Amino acid sequence: MKKGDYIIIAVAIASVILSGILAFSLFGSAATSVTVSQNNKVVYSGNINTDNEITLGTNTIVINSGAVYMKDATCKNQICVNHKKISKKGESITCLPNKVLVEVE
Amino acid sequence: MAKKITFYALFCSACLICGYIESLFSLSFIAPGIKLGLSNAVALLLVAKRDFKGALLVNVARILISALLFSNLFSLCFSLPAGIISLVFSYLLYKTDKVSLIGISIAGGVIHNICQSVTAYLLLGAGVLYYLPFLILAGLISGAFIGTISLLTFKRIEKHLKF
Repeated sequence: MKKGDYIIIAVAIASVILSGILAFSLFGSAATSVTVSQNNKVVYSGNINTDNEITLGTNTIVINSGAVYMKDATCKNQICVNHKKISKKGESITCLPNKVLVEVE
Repeated sequence: MAKKITFYALFCSACLICGYIESLFSLSFIAPGIKLGLSNAVALLLVAKRDFKGALLVNVARILISALLFSNLFSLCFSLPAGIISLVFSYLLYKTDKVSLIGISIAGGVIHNICQSVTAYLLLGAGVLYYLPFLILAGLISGAFIGTISLLTFKRIEKHLKF
């Protein structure tokens, strides 16, 4: 193994990571449905393209033009409220203190 | 000259045997079309001997014949450009004297798979780019493997490769 070999390996690994990021950002395909559950029970399920506002008492979830976000929550940490909008298959927002799970599929 | 042709023919048939062995087991569960590329270990021996023309000749002949024998002419669109481009890159890298056979094999493997992805992109659309990271990684791993085989073989048979 010469010095150049390590450079080649480094470049190759970098291109794996780069193309991985590229592929991941290109192909997280748009979700079609939204499921909201609280305490492991499904409390809402519907189309992601139907705009809606779901009020659970503790949390308010907004579905707006194909994306879902947590508008309000009574929890202390507000992680779910600060979470970015989700719109791609497999993404989710969790509000652990209130045991609310929002999934898009 | 006659000795040269005989050697090239020998290399070419060694490539084809490697290709045949590979066609017996499939690695396609990783990503479609993934192969070890054993025959490149043979072509690398010619690069190691700094016989670029010979390497190119053997590689092109090998690709054409193996397409006829083991697959179809459509696969040529994938294998021929990728084979030639990666070989050119490998040779240019080797000429710099800063890389060993393992390094050029990795570079060749990665470039080969990138070329194939580009071909697939042109023929089949953007969806195939999803496999690009897996293909580059596969090129890296198989390249390291093939390069090691080639380096070990070259050390042992170097003195017999006189043509």
